[in-house]
Amino acid sequence: MRHLNILTFITLFTLVLTGLPSPCHAFQSHPAPEGLYVHQMSHVLFIGALAYLYWHLGKSSLIASRGWHYMRLFCLLFLVWNCLTFAGHASYSYLSVDDFVNMGTWQSKIALPVTPLKLLYYLTRFEHLISVPAIFCLFIGLRLFYREVCAEEEK
Amino acid sequence: MINLPLVPAIIADIGGSLIVIIVAFLSAQYAYRLTKIQPENFLWGFLFYLCVAMTAFATSRGVGHIVRQFLILSGNETAWRTLSPFSGGINTLLITSAASVIIYYHKWLEAYEAIQIEVGKQKVANAKLAETAEELHEMNLNLEEIVEIRTQDLSISEKKFRHFFENSKDMVYFCNDGGQVSDINQSGVEMLGYQERPDKLDLHSFFKDVEDLEKYLQTLHDNGFVRDFEIEMERQDGSLCHALLSANAILNEKGEVVGCEGVAKDMTRIKTITDQLISQRKMASIGQLAAGVAHEINTPLGIILGYSQLMQDDFSKESEEHQNLNVIERQTKACQKIVADLLKFSRQSASEKVQLQLNDVIEDVISVTEHSLNMAHIHIIKELAADLPLISGDPERLRQVLFNLINNAHHAIGENGNVTVCTSAPPGNTTITCTVTDTGRGIPAEIQDKIFDPFFTTKGVGQGTGLGLSVTYGIINDHDGSVILESPTSSGSGTSFHLSFPILITKTNI
Repeated sequence: MRHLNILTFITLFTLVLTGLPSPCHAFQSHPAPEGLYVHQMSHVLFIGALAYLYWHLGKSSLIASRGWHYMRLFCLLFLVWNCLTFAGHASYSYLSVDDFVNMGTWQSKIALPVTPLKLLYYLTRFEHLISVPAIFCLFIGLRLFYREVCAEEEK
Repeated sequence: MINLPLVPAIIADIGGSLIVIIVAFLSAQYAYRLTKIQPENFLWGFLFYLCVAMTAFATSRGVGHIVRQFLILSGNETAWRTLSPFSGGINTLLITSAASVIIYYHKWLEAYEAIQIEVGKQKVANAKLAETAEELHEMNLNLEEIVEIRTQDLSISEKKFRHFFENSKDMVYFCNDGGQVSDINQSGVEMLGYQERPDKLDLHSFFKDVEDLEKYLQTLHDNGFVRDFEIEMERQDGSLCHALLSANAILNEKGEVVGCEGVAKDMTRIKTITDQLISQRKMASIGQLAAGVAHEINTPLGIILGYSQLMQDDFSKESEEHQNLNVIERQTKACQKIVADLLKFSRQSASEKVQLQLNDVIEDVISVTEHSLNMAHIHIIKELAADLPLISGDPERLRQVLFNLINNAHHAIGENGNVTVCTSAPPGNTTITCTVTDTGRGIPAEIQDKIFDPFFTTKGVGQGTGLGLSVTYGIINDHDGSVILESPTSSGSGTSFHLSFPILITKTNI
């Protein structure tokens, strides 16, 4: 029942995000921002799923292996990464070509003045600093499981 | 103001994407291995699908980012603008897929928990099974040890009782209710007169007296046991054996007697010794009595004899009084002889013992009696051992012994027969033996224990005083010897008297 509630919440949240008032036609067209919105919603869905898994792993008594701690860490880091990426997509949508210098070259920069929005975008470009440790946590967790299972089978 | 160069971000983007793709694939590989090792574990299945989704997403996104950087930096931004919606769309789909896998995690977990519960139950059951198996194993081991110990005990016990059974000097037997022997030891076989156990042996057939057998069986059925039951058994060779029998009945489930197990002790030798002791004591008592009577009678007889002889002088020889006194004198002398014999029997008479050769005494007696024996067609057979050792004895009294025995033999044969006199000195023995055997009618068993009693005779009135064998017995005893009667003899008839005398110990034969 608790899982159902979480799913209901995620669904309602998505509906609120997507249910912006607009003219209602028999056939709805899909202008450019729609793809971004859907992508952002998928990040939100992923955030919710990871939060749920993080919470569930924390309360499960059956799971005693150390590998599950890494799995929880993976959830947490990926959740943060999703937030960061969500913020990156959002901030980028507010920037224009004028905010960049030498676009398409190795000398490309963010044009002055550096606003908080520009700074946020700049920081989000380093999202791999989160995703790489996150995927390593997944890897380490699985490797621990594998070794434990091998040791168990050897018995 | 400081510009924010995007080169580090570009490098981080390309490098990070590559690393994420590689690590995602490695993770998927581990997840795959886990599902292969434990395919029944739903959690590994969940992780495998999660890794597949994450690897697909990482690959799609990483490749997209790298392609974007290269296209933009190479001045093909237009191409990227074309590809961008596809890349973003695929990424969106893959993010949703990964999220979907995670959302259904609880279902995976439920399945896992259900299986774990079953596995737990199975483990508990297996543990109990293993525990029970271990207990059974230990019990089995203990049982084997117990059985081994019991078997050893049984073997020792069996050996002990088998040893007792085999080596017992008494008869130990097991037989059925009909007397058929199922098992008997060697002593029992020998006691019944066999060298080896015959195939079939009926114990009851050895009972000489039917009444004894009936009483034995009755007691066994009534009491369940028989204790110290004296019986006379007739051996296979016909000889008698006195036995003391104790037995227990063997009962079946219904309490019926189906057989018996018992022990029989051969009492023949003890009975013979006992009989001899009784006889000796009896003879000693009679001897004392006879000696007392003889002494008391001897004096008046002497007076009667003296007065009768004196009175004879007072009458003429032809007178009736003289004749009567002659009768008195003769009968008195007869009485004196009887008294003298009684004294000899009771060993009260004086004797002078010298070294003598028994063969010489025998020759003397035979020379005197041979004539009368020949008259009755009785042949004397002499089997005298040469070099017979000397004995100490009164030759006169020993002559009387042999005279009595030959005379009795004559009387037993009547006419036509043999009297054998033999002497021997078995090597190693301290005695010599002299046997007088006749071929007469023998002495009935019921009077054999009375023949040495004074005044016991089978002869008619006036034919004998019944003191002959008594005197013989007294004289032999006085010589520290023994006299044994055997009737019938080993030939099946006749009588033998076996005399034995201690060999004289002199300096020469020490």
